[in-house]
Amino acid sequence: MNKLLAFALAAAAIAAPVTMAYAHHSFSMFNPDVEDVIQGKVVRWAFNSPHTFMIIEDAEGVVWAFEGAAPPSLLGRSPQMTGDTFKTGDEISVVSCPLRDGRNGGAAGVFVTADGTAYNPSDAGCRANQRIANWPAWIAKGYKSLEEAKAGEGIK
Amino acid sequence: MKTKKVFGAFALGLLLAASAPVLSLAQTPTPPAAPAPAPAANPLAVAVVPPPRAFKTAEEHFNYLKRQANGGTRHTYESVPKWEGLWEASWNSIALRGGVSPFFVGPIPPGLTAGGVVAEGVLTPEYEAAFKQRREHMIPFNEQPYDRLTTCEATGVPRWLLEPYVREWVNTPDQSWWLNDLANETRRVYVDQDHKNIDGAHSPTGDSIGFWINDTLVVWTNDMWPADYFRGYPPFSNEMEIVEVYKLVTEANGMQRLIAQVTFYDPVSLLKPLSGVYTWVKAAAIEDAGYRMRHWDCNTGAQVRGENDTTSIRLPGEEGRSWHEMRNPDLPADLSGQTQSPDQFDFDTVFGQKPANQ
Repeated sequence: MNKLLAFALAAAAIAAPVTMAYAHHSFSMFNPDVEDVIQGKVVRWAFNSPHTFMIIEDAEGVVWAFEGAAPPSLLGRSPQMTGDTFKTGDEISVVSCPLRDGRNGGAAGVFVTADGTAYNPSDAGCRANQRIANWPAWIAKGYKSLEEAKAGEGIK
Repeated sequence: MKTKKVFGAFALGLLLAASAPVLSLAQTPTPPAAPAPAPAANPLAVAVVPPPRAFKTAEEHFNYLKRQANGGTRHTYESVPKWEGLWEASWNSIALRGGVSPFFVGPIPPGLTAGGVVAEGVLTPEYEAAFKQRREHMIPFNEQPYDRLTTCEATGVPRWLLEPYVREWVNTPDQSWWLNDLANETRRVYVDQDHKNIDGAHSPTGDSIGFWINDTLVVWTNDMWPADYFRGYPPFSNEMEIVEVYKLVTEANGMQRLIAQVTFYDPVSLLKPLSGVYTWVKAAAIEDAGYRMRHWDCNTGAQVRGENDTTSIRLPGEEGRSWHEMRNPDLPADLSGQTQSPDQFDFDTVFGQKPANQ
Protein backbone atom coordinates (compact mmCIF):
# COMPACT_ATOMS: atom_id res chain seq x y z
CA MET A 1 0.00 0.00 0.00
CA ASN A 2 2.87 2.28 0.79
CA LYS A 3 4.15 1.70 -2.72
CA LEU A 4 0.77 2.64 -4.13
CA LEU A 5 0.65 5.78 -2.03
CA ALA A 6 4.12 6.69 -3.21
CA PHE A 7 2.99 6.11 -6.76
CA ALA A 8 -0.01 8.34 -6.17
CA LEU A 9 2.17 11.13 -4.86
CA ALA A 10 4.55 10.60 -7.74
CA ALA A 11 1.66 10.93 -10.13
CA ALA A 12 0.92 14.30 -8.64
CA ALA A 13 4.56 15.28 -8.62
CA ILE A 14 5.38 14.32 -12.19
CA ALA A 15 2.61 16.56 -13.36
CA ALA A 16 4.02 19.50 -11.45
CA PRO A 17 7.18 20.41 -13.35
CA VAL A 18 6.47 22.69 -16.25
CA THR A 19 8.76 22.62 -19.20
CA MET A 20 9.40 25.86 -20.97
CA ALA A 21 9.41 24.54 -24.48
CA TYR A 22 7.55 27.47 -25.93
CA ALA A 23 9.63 30.49 -26.66
CA HIS A 24 8.67 34.07 -27.09
CA HIS A 25 8.70 33.90 -30.86
CA SER A 26 7.51 31.79 -33.76
CA PHE A 27 9.53 28.83 -35.07
CA SER A 28 8.19 29.00 -38.59
CA MET A 29 11.65 29.84 -39.97
CA PHE A 30 12.92 26.35 -39.09
CA ASN A 31 12.06 23.14 -40.92
CA PRO A 32 11.09 20.58 -38.26
CA ASP A 33 10.90 17.79 -40.83
CA VAL A 34 14.64 17.85 -41.53
CA GLU A 35 17.39 16.98 -39.05
CA ASP A 36 20.97 17.64 -40.17
CA VAL A 37 24.28 17.02 -38.43
CA ILE A 38 26.84 19.83 -38.44
CA GLN A 39 30.19 19.14 -36.82
CA GLY A 40 32.82 21.63 -35.76
CA LYS A 41 34.37 23.46 -32.85
CA VAL A 42 32.54 25.69 -30.43
CA VAL A 43 33.12 29.35 -31.13
CA ARG A 44 30.69 30.54 -28.52
CA TRP A 45 28.04 29.03 -26.32
CA ALA A 46 25.75 31.96 -25.56
CA PHE A 47 23.77 31.04 -22.47
CA ASN A 48 21.37 33.93 -22.45
CA SER A 49 17.67 34.75 -22.64
CA PRO A 50 15.50 34.81 -24.59
CA HIS A 51 17.38 31.98 -26.33
CA THR A 52 20.67 30.21 -26.04
CA PHE A 53 22.85 30.10 -29.14
CA MET A 54 25.49 27.55 -30.07
CA ILE A 55 27.91 29.07 -32.56
CA ILE A 56 30.37 26.66 -34.17
CA GLU A 57 32.92 26.71 -36.95
CA ASP A 58 33.13 23.67 -39.22
CA ALA A 59 36.25 22.19 -40.83
CA GLU A 60 35.87 24.47 -43.85
CA GLY A 61 35.81 27.56 -41.66
CA VAL A 62 32.08 28.15 -42.09
CA VAL A 63 30.36 29.59 -39.03
CA TRP A 64 26.98 28.21 -38.01
CA ALA A 65 24.51 29.37 -35.35
CA PHE A 66 21.86 27.26 -33.67
CA GLU A 67 19.08 28.57 -31.47
CA GLY A 68 18.20 26.62 -28.34
CA ALA A 69 15.80 26.95 -25.44
CA ALA A 70 16.24 29.59 -22.77
CA PRO A 71 18.63 29.08 -19.85
CA PRO A 72 15.93 28.35 -17.23
CA SER A 73 14.75 25.44 -19.34
CA LEU A 74 18.21 23.97 -19.90
CA LEU A 75 18.99 24.09 -16.19
CA GLY A 76 16.26 21.58 -15.57
CA ARG A 77 17.37 19.02 -18.15
CA SER A 78 19.55 15.97 -17.81
CA PRO A 79 22.40 16.38 -18.39
CA GLN A 80 22.02 19.91 -17.10
CA MET A 81 23.48 22.71 -19.18
CA THR A 82 24.93 25.95 -17.82
CA GLY A 83 26.99 28.71 -19.36
CA ASP A 84 30.14 26.68 -18.66
CA THR A 85 29.06 23.40 -20.22
CA PHE A 86 30.55 24.02 -23.67
CA LYS A 87 33.90 25.76 -24.02
CA THR A 88 35.39 27.57 -26.98
CA GLY A 89 37.34 25.04 -29.03
CA ASP A 90 35.39 22.00 -27.86
CA GLU A 91 34.54 19.54 -30.62
CA ILE A 92 30.81 19.17 -30.99
CA SER A 93 28.20 17.65 -33.27
CA VAL A 94 24.95 19.58 -33.57
CA VAL A 95 21.77 17.94 -34.79
CA SER A 96 19.52 20.74 -35.93
CA CYS A 97 16.44 21.58 -37.93
CA PRO A 98 17.74 23.98 -40.56
CA LEU A 99 16.58 27.43 -41.47
CA ARG A 100 14.15 27.18 -44.35
CA ASP A 101 15.97 29.96 -46.21
CA GLY A 102 19.16 27.91 -46.44
CA ARG A 103 21.42 30.11 -44.36
CA ASN A 104 23.96 28.53 -42.03
CA GLY A 105 21.83 28.04 -38.96
CA GLY A 106 18.91 26.26 -37.44
CA ALA A 107 17.02 25.20 -34.37
CA ALA A 108 19.22 23.16 -32.03
CA GLY A 109 17.95 19.64 -31.47
CA VAL A 110 20.78 17.62 -29.92
CA PHE A 111 24.37 18.41 -28.98
CA VAL A 112 26.82 15.49 -28.88
CA THR A 113 30.22 16.18 -27.36
CA ALA A 114 33.49 14.39 -28.15
CA ASP A 115 32.97 11.93 -25.30
CA GLY A 116 29.62 10.90 -26.73
CA THR A 117 27.45 12.74 -24.21
CA ALA A 118 24.16 13.85 -25.72
CA TYR A 119 22.53 17.07 -24.53
CA ASN A 120 19.00 18.27 -25.21
CA PRO A 121 19.02 22.01 -25.95
CA SER A 122 15.84 21.89 -28.01
CA ASP A 123 13.07 24.40 -27.95
CA ALA A 124 9.83 23.85 -29.82
CA GLY A 125 11.55 24.49 -33.16
CA CYS A 126 13.14 21.05 -33.52
CA ARG A 127 12.10 17.60 -32.40
CA ALA A 128 15.46 15.89 -32.89
CA ASN A 129 15.60 15.58 -29.11
CA GLN A 130 12.97 12.85 -29.43
CA ARG A 131 15.78 10.72 -30.91
CA ILE A 132 18.45 11.79 -28.44
CA ALA A 133 19.12 8.18 -27.46
CA ASN A 134 19.91 7.29 -31.07
CA TRP A 135 21.90 10.26 -32.28
CA PRO A 136 25.29 9.55 -30.60
CA ALA A 137 25.45 6.14 -32.27
CA TRP A 138 24.15 7.47 -35.56
CA ILE A 139 26.77 10.22 -35.54
CA ALA A 140 29.45 7.66 -34.72
CA LYS A 141 28.36 5.75 -37.82
CA GLY A 142 28.79 8.88 -39.88
CA TYR A 143 25.18 9.70 -40.66
CA LYS A 144 24.78 13.37 -41.56
CA SER A 145 21.02 13.61 -41.45
CA LEU A 146 17.94 11.88 -40.14
CA GLU A 147 17.19 10.82 -43.69
CA GLU A 148 20.59 9.06 -43.92
CA ALA A 149 20.17 7.48 -40.50
CA LYS A 150 16.75 6.11 -41.38
CA ALA A 151 18.04 4.68 -44.63
CA GLY A 152 21.10 3.18 -42.98
CA GLU A 153 19.20 1.72 -40.05
CA GLY A 154 16.26 0.50 -42.07
CA ILE A 155 13.82 2.78 -40.27
CA LYS A 156 10.63 3.69 -42.09
CA MET B 1 -6.62 -6.38 -9.92
CA LYS B 2 -3.12 -5.05 -9.54
CA THR B 3 -3.68 -2.81 -12.51
CA LYS B 4 -6.85 -1.46 -10.92
CA LYS B 5 -4.94 -0.62 -7.73
CA VAL B 6 -2.23 1.17 -9.65
CA PHE B 7 -4.73 3.20 -11.60
CA GLY B 8 -6.58 3.92 -8.39
CA ALA B 9 -3.40 5.21 -6.81
CA PHE B 10 -2.69 7.32 -9.86
CA ALA B 11 -6.18 8.76 -9.67
CA LEU B 12 -5.60 9.55 -6.00
CA GLY B 13 -2.48 11.43 -6.99
CA LEU B 14 -4.37 13.43 -9.55
CA LEU B 15 -7.03 14.17 -6.97
CA LEU B 16 -4.44 15.34 -4.47
CA ALA B 17 -2.99 17.70 -7.02
CA ALA B 18 -6.24 18.99 -8.37
CA SER B 19 -8.67 19.20 -5.52
CA ALA B 20 -7.07 21.46 -2.96
CA PRO B 21 -7.00 24.67 -4.94
CA VAL B 22 -10.56 24.19 -6.02
CA LEU B 23 -11.63 24.18 -2.43
CA SER B 24 -9.31 26.82 -1.09
CA LEU B 25 -9.47 29.82 -3.38
CA ALA B 26 -12.41 32.12 -3.48
CA GLN B 27 -12.84 35.57 -4.93
CA THR B 28 -14.38 37.08 -1.82
CA PRO B 29 -14.52 36.48 1.90
CA THR B 30 -18.17 35.60 1.41
CA PRO B 31 -19.19 32.25 -0.09
CA PRO B 32 -18.32 32.33 -3.78
CA ALA B 33 -20.49 31.30 -6.66
CA ALA B 34 -20.39 27.59 -7.37
CA PRO B 35 -17.13 26.85 -9.18
CA ALA B 36 -17.27 25.36 -12.60
CA PRO B 37 -15.93 21.80 -12.71
CA ALA B 38 -12.25 21.55 -13.60
CA PRO B 39 -11.29 19.39 -16.55
CA ALA B 40 -10.76 16.01 -14.94
CA ALA B 41 -8.01 14.83 -17.25
CA ASN B 42 -5.32 17.25 -16.10
CA PRO B 43 -3.90 16.75 -12.60
CA LEU B 44 -3.01 20.41 -12.32
CA ALA B 45 -6.42 21.70 -13.35
CA VAL B 46 -8.02 24.33 -11.15
CA ALA B 47 -11.67 25.29 -11.32
CA VAL B 48 -12.47 28.74 -12.63
CA VAL B 49 -14.17 30.78 -9.90
CA PRO B 50 -16.27 33.43 -11.62
CA PRO B 51 -17.07 36.77 -9.97
CA PRO B 52 -19.67 36.54 -7.21
CA ARG B 53 -22.16 38.17 -9.57
CA ALA B 54 -22.10 39.63 -13.06
CA PHE B 55 -20.39 42.98 -13.44
CA LYS B 56 -20.28 45.17 -16.51
CA THR B 57 -16.89 46.65 -15.75
CA ALA B 58 -13.69 45.85 -13.90
CA GLU B 59 -14.29 48.92 -11.77
CA GLU B 60 -17.65 47.57 -10.55
CA HIS B 61 -16.08 44.18 -9.85
CA PHE B 62 -13.07 45.58 -7.97
CA ASN B 63 -15.11 48.05 -5.92
CA TYR B 64 -17.67 45.39 -5.01
CA LEU B 65 -14.96 43.09 -3.65
CA LYS B 66 -13.41 45.96 -1.74
CA ARG B 67 -16.74 46.93 -0.16
CA GLN B 68 -17.36 43.30 0.78
CA ALA B 69 -13.97 43.25 2.49
CA ASN B 70 -14.67 46.53 4.31
CA GLY B 71 -11.77 48.16 2.51
CA GLY B 72 -9.44 45.22 2.89
CA THR B 73 -6.56 44.27 5.16
CA ARG B 74 -3.83 46.79 5.89
CA HIS B 75 -0.60 44.80 6.07
CA THR B 76 2.74 45.68 7.64
CA TYR B 77 6.13 44.53 6.35
CA GLU B 78 5.93 41.71 8.87
CA SER B 79 2.42 40.57 7.99
CA VAL B 80 2.32 41.02 4.21
CA PRO B 81 2.24 37.61 2.47
CA LYS B 82 5.65 36.47 1.26
CA TRP B 83 5.77 34.93 -2.22
CA GLU B 84 9.53 35.11 -2.73
CA GLY B 85 11.55 32.67 -4.79
CA LEU B 86 11.52 31.74 -8.45
CA TRP B 87 8.27 30.65 -10.08
CA GLU B 88 7.25 29.35 -13.47
CA ALA B 89 3.94 29.30 -15.26
CA SER B 90 1.85 26.18 -14.89
CA TRP B 91 -1.69 25.15 -15.77
CA ASN B 92 -4.18 27.77 -16.92
CA SER B 93 -7.63 27.72 -18.45
CA ILE B 94 -7.15 30.35 -21.16
CA ALA B 95 -4.36 29.30 -23.51
CA LEU B 96 -1.81 26.58 -24.13
CA ARG B 97 -0.98 25.11 -20.74
CA GLY B 98 -4.25 23.51 -19.79
CA GLY B 99 -5.30 21.78 -22.96
CA VAL B 100 -8.47 23.84 -22.89
CA SER B 101 -9.39 27.36 -23.87
CA PRO B 102 -12.60 29.35 -24.10
CA PHE B 103 -11.47 30.40 -27.56
CA PHE B 104 -11.69 26.87 -28.98
CA VAL B 105 -14.34 24.20 -29.12
CA GLY B 106 -13.05 21.05 -27.44
CA PRO B 107 -9.36 20.34 -26.94
CA ILE B 108 -7.01 23.04 -28.15
CA PRO B 109 -4.63 22.27 -31.01
CA PRO B 110 -1.47 20.65 -29.64
CA GLY B 111 1.28 23.07 -28.76
CA LEU B 112 0.98 26.17 -30.82
CA THR B 113 -0.01 24.47 -34.03
CA ALA B 114 -2.69 25.41 -36.50
CA GLY B 115 -6.06 23.72 -36.57
CA GLY B 116 -8.78 23.55 -33.98
CA VAL B 117 -12.26 24.97 -34.10
CA VAL B 118 -12.71 28.59 -33.09
CA ALA B 119 -15.43 29.00 -30.48
CA GLU B 120 -18.15 31.35 -31.64
CA GLY B 121 -19.98 33.75 -29.39
CA VAL B 122 -17.01 34.58 -27.14
CA LEU B 123 -15.48 37.40 -29.13
CA THR B 124 -17.29 40.30 -30.73
CA PRO B 125 -18.00 39.73 -34.43
CA GLU B 126 -15.10 41.95 -35.49
CA TYR B 127 -12.61 40.22 -33.20
CA GLU B 128 -13.97 36.76 -33.94
CA ALA B 129 -13.39 37.41 -37.62
CA ALA B 130 -9.89 38.68 -36.88
CA PHE B 131 -9.13 35.59 -34.80
CA LYS B 132 -10.37 33.30 -37.56
CA GLN B 133 -8.20 35.22 -40.00
CA ARG B 134 -5.19 34.65 -37.72
CA ARG B 135 -5.94 30.92 -37.53
CA GLU B 136 -6.30 30.69 -41.31
CA HIS B 137 -2.99 32.50 -41.75
CA MET B 138 -1.31 29.88 -39.53
CA ILE B 139 -2.21 26.91 -41.70
CA PRO B 140 0.68 27.06 -44.23
CA PHE B 141 3.22 27.41 -41.40
CA ASN B 142 1.40 25.22 -38.84
CA GLU B 143 1.87 28.04 -36.35
CA GLN B 144 1.66 31.82 -36.21
CA PRO B 145 4.56 32.80 -38.46
CA TYR B 146 5.32 36.14 -36.85
CA ASP B 147 5.09 36.90 -33.16
CA ARG B 148 5.08 40.54 -32.04
CA LEU B 149 7.45 39.55 -29.22
CA THR B 150 10.14 38.72 -31.78
CA THR B 151 11.66 42.14 -31.36
CA CYS B 152 11.13 42.11 -27.61
CA GLU B 153 7.90 44.03 -27.38
CA ALA B 154 6.42 43.71 -23.90
CA THR B 155 4.03 40.81 -23.51
CA GLY B 156 1.15 42.73 -21.95
CA VAL B 157 -0.70 41.47 -18.89
CA PRO B 158 -2.71 38.49 -20.24
CA ARG B 159 0.37 37.00 -21.81
CA TRP B 160 2.51 37.94 -18.82
CA LEU B 161 0.36 35.50 -16.88
CA LEU B 162 1.29 32.42 -18.91
CA GLU B 163 4.55 33.00 -20.77
CA PRO B 164 7.45 30.65 -20.01
CA TYR B 165 10.60 31.90 -18.32
CA VAL B 166 10.77 32.92 -14.67
CA ARG B 167 8.81 35.11 -12.26
CA GLU B 168 9.53 36.73 -8.93
CA TRP B 169 6.84 38.21 -6.68
CA VAL B 170 7.82 40.77 -4.09
CA ASN B 171 5.07 42.08 -1.83
CA THR B 172 5.42 45.13 0.39
CA PRO B 173 2.63 46.87 2.31
CA ASP B 174 2.28 49.63 -0.30
CA GLN B 175 3.33 47.94 -3.54
CA SER B 176 3.77 44.53 -5.07
CA TRP B 177 6.51 44.11 -7.68
CA TRP B 178 6.06 41.23 -10.05
CA LEU B 179 9.06 40.53 -12.23
CA ASN B 180 9.22 38.42 -15.35
CA ASP B 181 12.63 37.85 -16.88
CA LEU B 182 10.93 37.83 -20.28
CA ALA B 183 11.90 41.21 -21.72
CA ASN B 184 12.46 42.52 -18.22
CA GLU B 185 8.75 43.14 -17.88
CA THR B 186 7.83 44.22 -14.37
CA ARG B 187 4.33 44.81 -13.08
CA ARG B 188 3.83 47.17 -10.17
CA VAL B 189 0.66 46.94 -8.12
CA TYR B 190 -0.07 49.99 -5.99
CA VAL B 191 -1.80 48.79 -2.84
CA ASP B 192 -4.63 50.80 -1.29
CA GLN B 193 -4.17 53.56 -3.85
CA ASP B 194 -6.19 54.96 -6.75
CA HIS B 195 -5.39 54.66 -10.44
CA LYS B 196 -3.11 57.35 -11.80
CA ASN B 197 -2.17 58.14 -15.37
CA ILE B 198 -0.23 61.33 -15.90
CA ASP B 199 1.24 59.92 -19.12
CA GLY B 200 -1.72 60.77 -21.30
CA ALA B 201 -1.37 57.36 -22.90
CA HIS B 202 -1.66 53.66 -22.24
CA SER B 203 1.34 51.42 -21.57
CA PRO B 204 2.20 47.74 -22.14
CA THR B 205 1.23 46.59 -18.65
CA GLY B 206 -1.05 49.49 -17.76
CA ASP B 207 -1.74 50.77 -14.26
CA SER B 208 -2.46 48.27 -11.48
CA ILE B 209 -3.98 48.95 -8.07
CA GLY B 210 -4.92 46.45 -5.41
CA PHE B 211 -5.95 45.61 -1.89
CA TRP B 212 -5.45 42.65 0.40
CA ILE B 213 -8.10 40.44 1.99
CA ASN B 214 -5.93 38.70 4.56
CA ASP B 215 -3.64 36.56 2.34
CA THR B 216 -5.53 37.21 -0.91
CA LEU B 217 -4.57 40.09 -3.20
CA VAL B 218 -7.16 41.68 -5.48
CA VAL B 219 -5.79 43.67 -8.44
CA TRP B 220 -7.44 45.92 -11.04
CA THR B 221 -5.44 46.84 -14.13
CA ASN B 222 -6.40 49.38 -16.79
CA ASP B 223 -4.83 51.62 -19.45
CA MET B 224 -3.06 48.81 -21.32
CA TRP B 225 -1.84 48.59 -24.90
CA PRO B 226 -3.78 46.22 -27.11
CA ALA B 227 -2.05 42.85 -27.33
CA ASP B 228 -2.99 39.16 -27.35
CA TYR B 229 -3.60 36.29 -24.93
CA PHE B 230 -0.81 34.28 -26.53
CA ARG B 231 0.74 33.47 -29.89
CA GLY B 232 -2.00 31.98 -32.06
CA TYR B 233 -4.71 33.30 -29.76
CA PRO B 234 -7.07 36.28 -30.11
CA PRO B 235 -6.06 39.88 -29.81
CA PHE B 236 -7.71 42.23 -27.33
CA SER B 237 -8.30 45.94 -27.51
CA ASN B 238 -6.91 49.02 -25.82
CA GLU B 239 -10.07 49.11 -23.67
CA MET B 240 -9.21 45.86 -21.87
CA GLU B 241 -9.34 45.99 -18.08
CA ILE B 242 -8.60 43.05 -15.78
CA VAL B 243 -9.45 41.99 -12.23
CA GLU B 244 -7.09 39.40 -10.72
CA VAL B 245 -7.47 37.60 -7.38
CA TYR B 246 -4.21 36.02 -6.12
CA LYS B 247 -3.62 33.48 -3.38
CA LEU B 248 -0.74 31.19 -2.44
CA VAL B 249 -2.00 27.65 -1.95
CA THR B 250 -0.21 24.67 -0.41
CA GLU B 251 -1.49 21.44 -1.91
CA ALA B 252 -2.11 18.22 -0.01
CA ASN B 253 1.16 16.84 -1.40
CA GLY B 254 3.07 19.87 -0.09
CA MET B 255 3.45 21.55 -3.44
CA GLN B 256 3.00 25.32 -3.35
CA ARG B 257 1.11 27.02 -6.09
CA LEU B 258 0.24 30.62 -6.73
CA ILE B 259 -3.25 30.80 -8.20
CA ALA B 260 -4.93 33.76 -9.86
CA GLN B 261 -8.61 33.90 -10.69
CA VAL B 262 -8.82 36.42 -13.51
CA THR B 263 -11.69 38.22 -15.24
CA PHE B 264 -11.11 40.09 -18.49
CA TYR B 265 -13.36 43.06 -19.32
CA ASP B 266 -13.11 44.34 -22.88
CA PRO B 267 -16.28 45.63 -24.55
CA VAL B 268 -14.47 45.98 -27.86
CA SER B 269 -13.25 42.39 -28.17
CA LEU B 270 -15.43 40.34 -25.78
CA LEU B 271 -19.18 39.83 -25.97
CA LYS B 272 -19.19 39.50 -22.20
CA PRO B 273 -16.54 39.42 -19.47
CA LEU B 274 -14.35 36.33 -19.63
CA SER B 275 -13.13 34.52 -16.51
CA GLY B 276 -10.19 32.14 -16.27
CA VAL B 277 -7.55 30.86 -13.89
CA TYR B 278 -3.75 30.96 -14.08
CA THR B 279 -1.28 29.10 -11.87
CA TRP B 280 2.45 29.13 -11.13
CA VAL B 281 4.68 26.60 -9.38
CA LYS B 282 8.03 26.98 -7.68
CA ALA B 283 10.95 26.62 -10.07
CA ALA B 284 12.91 24.47 -7.64
CA ALA B 285 15.35 22.97 -10.16
CA ILE B 286 16.26 26.41 -11.42
CA GLU B 287 16.76 27.74 -7.92
CA ASP B 288 18.91 24.75 -7.00
CA ALA B 289 21.05 25.37 -10.09
CA GLY B 290 21.79 28.89 -8.89
CA TYR B 291 19.76 30.72 -11.52
CA ARG B 292 19.32 34.43 -11.04
CA MET B 293 17.31 36.72 -13.24
CA ARG B 294 19.50 38.81 -15.49
CA HIS B 295 18.60 41.81 -17.56
CA TRP B 296 17.25 40.55 -20.88
CA ASP B 297 19.22 42.15 -23.71
CA CYS B 298 17.08 41.89 -26.79
CA ASN B 299 20.12 42.11 -29.09
CA THR B 300 21.49 38.82 -27.81
CA GLY B 301 18.34 37.13 -28.99
CA ALA B 302 19.05 38.01 -32.60
CA GLN B 303 15.45 37.50 -33.65
CA VAL B 304 14.16 39.74 -36.40
CA ARG B 305 11.13 40.22 -38.58
CA GLY B 306 12.15 38.45 -41.75
CA GLU B 307 10.85 38.35 -45.28
CA ASN B 308 7.19 37.55 -45.81
CA ASP B 309 6.40 38.75 -42.30
CA THR B 310 7.87 35.74 -40.56
CA THR B 311 10.05 35.59 -37.50
CA SER B 312 13.67 34.90 -38.37
CA ILE B 313 17.11 35.08 -36.79
CA ARG B 314 20.22 37.05 -37.63
CA LEU B 315 23.41 35.05 -37.91
CA PRO B 316 26.94 35.97 -36.85
CA GLY B 317 28.74 37.92 -39.51
CA GLU B 318 25.60 39.13 -41.19
CA GLU B 319 24.52 42.72 -41.53
CA GLY B 320 25.30 45.17 -38.84
CA ARG B 321 28.09 46.55 -36.76
CA SER B 322 29.56 44.85 -33.74
CA TRP B 323 27.95 45.44 -30.41
CA HIS B 324 30.78 47.79 -29.44
CA GLU B 325 30.58 49.72 -32.71
CA MET B 326 26.84 50.19 -32.29
CA ARG B 327 27.24 51.60 -28.81
CA ASN B 328 30.36 53.66 -29.30
CA PRO B 329 30.57 55.07 -32.83
CA ASP B 330 32.91 57.76 -31.49
CA LEU B 331 35.50 55.28 -30.20
CA PRO B 332 38.11 53.11 -31.94
CA ALA B 333 36.48 49.95 -33.30
CA ASP B 334 39.35 47.83 -31.93
CA LEU B 335 39.33 49.30 -28.42
CA SER B 336 40.40 46.59 -25.98
CA GLY B 337 38.03 45.08 -23.46
CA GLN B 338 34.80 46.05 -25.23
CA THR B 339 33.25 42.64 -25.88
CA GLN B 340 30.46 41.75 -23.47
CA SER B 341 32.63 39.24 -21.66
CA PRO B 342 36.40 38.72 -21.67
CA ASP B 343 37.86 36.30 -24.23
CA GLN B 344 35.06 36.71 -26.77
CA PHE B 345 35.80 37.26 -30.42
CA ASP B 346 34.50 40.48 -31.88
CA PHE B 347 32.15 38.72 -34.20
CA ASP B 348 30.52 37.00 -31.24
CA THR B 349 28.48 40.08 -30.70
CA VAL B 350 27.51 40.90 -34.25
CA PHE B 351 23.88 40.91 -33.27
CA GLY B 352 23.64 44.67 -33.60
CA GLN B 353 21.07 46.62 -35.51
CA LYS B 354 21.40 47.32 -39.18
CA PRO B 355 23.14 50.68 -39.63
CA ALA B 356 20.74 53.42 -40.61
CA ASN B 357 22.69 54.28 -43.76
CA GLN B 358 22.36 50.80 -45.30
